[in-house]
Amino acid sequence: MPNARRRLTTAGALLLVVTAPVLAQRGGPPQAPPTPRAQAAFDITGYWVSLVNEDWRYRIATPPKGDFAGVPLNAAGRQAASAWDPAKDEAAGESCRAFGAAGVMRQPGRLHIDWAGDDALDIETDAGSQTRVVSFAAPRGTGGGWQGVSVAAWDRGDSPMARGGFFPGAVAGGGSLRVVTTNMKAGYLRKNGVPYSAAAVMTEYFDRFDLAGGEALLVVSTEVVDPTYLVTPFWTSTHFKKQRDAAGWNPRPCSAR
Amino acid sequence: MIRHLRAAALTSAALVCLVSRVGSQAPAPAAAAPGFDLSGYWTAAMHEDALERGAGPELADYGGFPINESARLFALSYDASRVTLRGHQCDGYVAPYSVRSIGNARAWEERDPHTHRLIAIHWYNQTFEGHRVIWMDGRAHPPAWAPHTWMGFSTGRFVGNALQVQTTHLKQGWLRRNGLPESDQATLVEFFVRHGDHLTHTSVITDPVYLTEAEVRTTDFFRQHTDHQSWLFSCDDGEQILGRAPDNVPNYLFGENPFVAEFGKKYGLPAAAYLGGAETAYPEFPARVAGLPAAEGASRLRPAPGASLTSRAVDPEPSDDEIHVWPLRDNLYLLAGDRGNIVVQVGGEGAFVVDSGSGRLVDKTLAAIRRLSQSPIQFIANTSFRPEHTGGNDKLRAAGTDPSVRGTFFALQFADAGVGATIMAHQNVQTRMVAAKRPADGTPSDTFLEERRRTFHNGDAVEMFWERNAVTDGDSIVHFRRADVIVAGDVFTTTQYPLIDLQNGGSVRGEIDALNDILRRTVYQHEGEGGTIVVPGHGYVCDEHEVVEYRDMLVIVRDRVQAMLRKNATLEQVKSARLTADYDTRYGAATGPWTTDAFVEAVYRDLSRRK
Repeated sequence: MPNARRRLTTAGALLLVVTAPVLAQRGGPPQAPPTPRAQAAFDITGYWVSLVNEDWRYRIATPPKGDFAGVPLNAAGRQAASAWDPAKDEAAGESCRAFGAAGVMRQPGRLHIDWAGDDALDIETDAGSQTRVVSFAAPRGTGGGWQGVSVAAWDRGDSPMARGGFFPGAVAGGGSLRVVTTNMKAGYLRKNGVPYSAAAVMTEYFDRFDLAGGEALLVVSTEVVDPTYLVTPFWTSTHFKKQRDAAGWNPRPCSAR
Repeated sequence: MIRHLRAAALTSAALVCLVSRVGSQAPAPAAAAPGFDLSGYWTAAMHEDALERGAGPELADYGGFPINESARLFALSYDASRVTLRGHQCDGYVAPYSVRSIGNARAWEERDPHTHRLIAIHWYNQTFEGHRVIWMDGRAHPPAWAPHTWMGFSTGRFVGNALQVQTTHLKQGWLRRNGLPESDQATLVEFFVRHGDHLTHTSVITDPVYLTEAEVRTTDFFRQHTDHQSWLFSCDDGEQILGRAPDNVPNYLFGENPFVAEFGKKYGLPAAAYLGGAETAYPEFPARVAGLPAAEGASRLRPAPGASLTSRAVDPEPSDDEIHVWPLRDNLYLLAGDRGNIVVQVGGEGAFVVDSGSGRLVDKTLAAIRRLSQSPIQFIANTSFRPEHTGGNDKLRAAGTDPSVRGTFFALQFADAGVGATIMAHQNVQTRMVAAKRPADGTPSDTFLEERRRTFHNGDAVEMFWERNAVTDGDSIVHFRRADVIVAGDVFTTTQYPLIDLQNGGSVRGEIDALNDILRRTVYQHEGEGGTIVVPGHGYVCDEHEVVEYRDMLVIVRDRVQAMLRKNATLEQVKSARLTADYDTRYGAATGPWTTDAFVEAVYRDLSRRK
């Protein structure tokens, strides 16, 4: 063994020997890893009301057929949007097409978010009376419904510093909730039939911002990638204001019109 | 081998110490949270509000904005042709709108070259070359009398995984560029969060003048890995409509905007839906849209009956009984605190003081001047006879001297010539102060009758221009030409409606002419801001943009009163029509020396006598 390598090996072994007990002692006896709920970067639970001031015209009322400005549709997407027929959707029992996971957050409405155990969140929307289960562990179910399958993780950035893995005392506060949703039933990005396909993958980041006076905002940054209907990822950010209670919570069925 | 073991042991011990020490520390406070690097090229994703942000918003589309009546009426009165006015051609975007605009942005860090501490984050928007500096070094925001800019004054800190930015001192600008205003009283809180190459920007605009609740917007950017090399957006104003009268500001009278119905017809929405208001952003609103009666929309096109509203603006003048010094440019300083603004030019030839405040704090004013200059005060220029601009004359005069007078032929006529500072003003200032039996020592001794008084002092050309029959018949503005600072006196304030003192020779036309006279002398530095500094008689330090908006306001109110006069309206009818409804939350007053009623009455009476 060359001298240099031997030195490194020796030093490395000693490092492990000397530091490992110290690191272990800091946490005491071995314990189960903290649950996602215990590791939450912020409190996402409660009632949140949407503030509809972006894409207002598209969201506050159903826009006309063919009005899909801003959505990076490909030819197939434009064709599908132009063929939108709400009566047909109703007849087919598919009035919830605009209330699937990739569309429902843009609907005017309220969210009710709560923990479903220690490793999953329920995201309920009163618009369309939908519930999405966001799992931090194994995916719940196989998808195929309007809400697909969502897998979540707390995202604290990529550096060891930010993760708190190397210098735990210097861990950054906050972080984002990252949710990836797949296996959605094909639906609409906008209520007037702007489509996404079953192949779409949606990545969301949920961030909470606390304001002076005790108010809080929940901002959901969304990227929808759909090889079937989009030429580029479709990006939106949707914001909600924290409510003290369930005031205004108004579950209502999907509507195709 | 022993040597190797020793080295490894030392390394290990050092690491143990480090881990133990760091691990024992309390979690870092939020303000000291580790930051992230915003540097790089960013392009806004235009997937939201694509048409509005690209081609431009549709007329009268204010849906989703929590605007109040003032904002809505301001927007409905706005005629897009206003951008053809020289003073508006190069208007930039205010910071929150700039972030929302089309185009690219570039961010970079400014660090101390020695310590590498983060001093500032720069955010440059291609559109209108909006260059923001977000100070990260913990400095305080400037005082209320400091200038406002398109980008405002921003300070930031990392909170959790976000860069949180607080911005004040914004100029009046757009919430949406179809006339929907954001006032100069707006403040901004922002959050920048990076998710890899996706940046989400959240802005929270609070505007007591035009919003009933905070306006929240979120904007997505994606990172570009190469410089697209398109960063310039230069603007230079020019002649767009020849022969237009200088008091022509394109606007629509209340209820007469011809384009209000366009949006509704196009999209099948009632006017009451898209004319905005906080309720239009909430989930309950869609269920109401179809049932909104046409009358509800129609009622929003004019001021609601009732009493006038009052200003919600922050008082920009200090009220702590202290004189505050704010550097203007070169050797000129603002002294704020004694009600009326005072400007001092210092130099080897002795101080040149414009206005002397109310006199209540004159000793402190004098002390402040002496800290700036040991030389005696040589000149005092009065922009008006009004007490808040001449109250300190006598004491300041006594503290000065005018060596240029001593030993001259002129000195033979007065025993004390040159002993005190020389007080300059238009002759009518002297006449009115004498008539009011003001102290003789504080009365102007060096007066002029027409056009201007000029002198070259402390290396600068100083000109006083008479603004005939503006606020009174004796107003002057003072222009320091080299420093390019105009002291406007009460011809221009940021605190109230123009004080048109009919009894002392003021007039609407004269006031509009005076404001236009200021604008004939100003030159902006970049995108309609900066350049010539304009110091108002009351309020914060400005440039031409604030004068343009103030001029526009007066012209528009005049047009409205004039239109009612043509229909033989009485004073009471004019007052009850609330013709200033879109400006009252900024300038209105129900009490005090200059109320909204008094202003409207002055406009009415002045126009009536010229009818």
